[in-house]
Amino acid sequence: MFCVPFVSLIVVGRQVYLNMHYGLSTWKGGGMGMFAASDDLSSRYAKVFLAQADGSRDPLVQLKSEDFEILNRALEYPTRRNFLRAARQINHDNWIPAYQRRPVLVVNADGEPVSAGAKSYRVMTPSELRSDREEKSPSMEIQFWNITYDPRTRHERAWLVETYVFSPQELSTSDAEQKNL
Amino acid sequence: MRSAAFARASANGGGQSRSLSASGRPVADSSKFGALIEFVRNLDLIQTVGLLTLVLTIIFGFDYWLFRIVSRVCLLLFVLQPRVLRRPQLWFSLALAGTISLIVEWEKIDNHKYLLDYWMWILFIVHLFAQPERQRQVILVNARFFLCLIFLAASAQKLSSPSYRSGAMFEHYLYVDGRFTAFGKLIGLDPSVGDAVKKRLMFLRSPFAEVEGNDIHIAGSDRARVAGLAMTWWDFSVQFCIGALLLIRRRRTDAIAHVLLLFFIFTTYLPAPVFGFGWILAIMGFTLAKEQFPRLAVAYVVCFFAILLYQLPWRDWVLKS
Repeated sequence: MFCVPFVSLIVVGRQVYLNMHYGLSTWKGGGMGMFAASDDLSSRYAKVFLAQADGSRDPLVQLKSEDFEILNRALEYPTRRNFLRAARQINHDNWIPAYQRRPVLVVNADGEPVSAGAKSYRVMTPSELRSDREEKSPSMEIQFWNITYDPRTRHERAWLVETYVFSPQELSTSDAEQKNL
Repeated sequence: MRSAAFARASANGGGQSRSLSASGRPVADSSKFGALIEFVRNLDLIQTVGLLTLVLTIIFGFDYWLFRIVSRVCLLLFVLQPRVLRRPQLWFSLALAGTISLIVEWEKIDNHKYLLDYWMWILFIVHLFAQPERQRQVILVNARFFLCLIFLAASAQKLSSPSYRSGAMFEHYLYVDGRFTAFGKLIGLDPSVGDAVKKRLMFLRSPFAEVEGNDIHIAGSDRARVAGLAMTWWDFSVQFCIGALLLIRRRRTDAIAHVLLLFFIFTTYLPAPVFGFGWILAIMGFTLAKEQFPRLAVAYVVCFFAILLYQLPWRDWVLKS
């Protein structure tokens, strides 16, 4: 009679443990905390960069819906393994740069753009053209960010929780694994 | 068709059905409400709960392909042969498909979907017993356990969360969560406030913008602040009271808990579109109330219709008005 309640208590305990130690969202994983914390996708996001061997980095913003889905799963349960899975999925596309560089806009605390920064990035787009990544072997950097809201000051503050860098070898392993499957 | 099948199934249930439903009381009054109470009182508890759960698996079940197929096959079997609802095999297949869905996508699935799987396993266990009294006992004990667990564990988790305690969570959602935009408008929060907040947050999220100090001031509103705090403490106090009152296991405290639970379902799932959660709470509440408080059981039946009605595109209507 009590086997299902017993299992549910184990699942709840596991969810609480993963929430406290591994950042699993309170909304997921079998806990009871729906609407218990703003640690869902409205407060978590990622910035994804393709990093070349020469040190230059360019952000990937035109992700496909499948990429977003797997990236969102990693944001809900932000472990290195999950972000690697997302990176491998994103890496399946052949990302090519646009010709023009786009400057990074400097924005003040009131949300007003104040100037164009010294930094600029190339806009990367997924292409149907044949990939030349084998020659260039870019790595991928995923920054995991969190937003906290302070209702007293009405400030939304973003903080970088973790930066994951995946080497070309790590990114290509999945291809090999998938071939073996 | 479904109600006809259900009626047939009740008749087929024979003595088991009658033993559970026979109250021996005359109809309380000649009013329609009295007739409705008597109708609910005469429903077979296990079969009604089974049917409500089967409906839940169809309309608010797991999105995983395996579960979708299994739940639809089970519905088809029920339509063809209503007595199948009393077969443990049906509940085993649903519960197993639910468990597989959970295992495959566990970190993606919302917490309340786990409850659906637990509940299907409970119905499987219930149907393993041949004696109606034993079935009744198992389902009542488990319904009470899960209602206590849901509300007390949620209260604990909410209380331990700084973003919840400060009211920041609901205020933040009123600004950025599209599900709350229409509700915000109903309480006098202009949608343009939320739009402005979202626009500013885009700067934080974009790699093509660099916000000084990664800190941005938002043009919120006092109304949202008050509403956020009110929602926070209303939500916590109602949930805690329901869990604690059901734990006491007295008739009077149970009655208050049911009234609060009904109030919670009717009010929460209007702004928060987590309909599957509302539906399963209503099933558990109905299970506990059916024999003890037939009038409240009627209110739970109304709940199911209300939850379905809440899916009307009222948010779009409010936002367009």
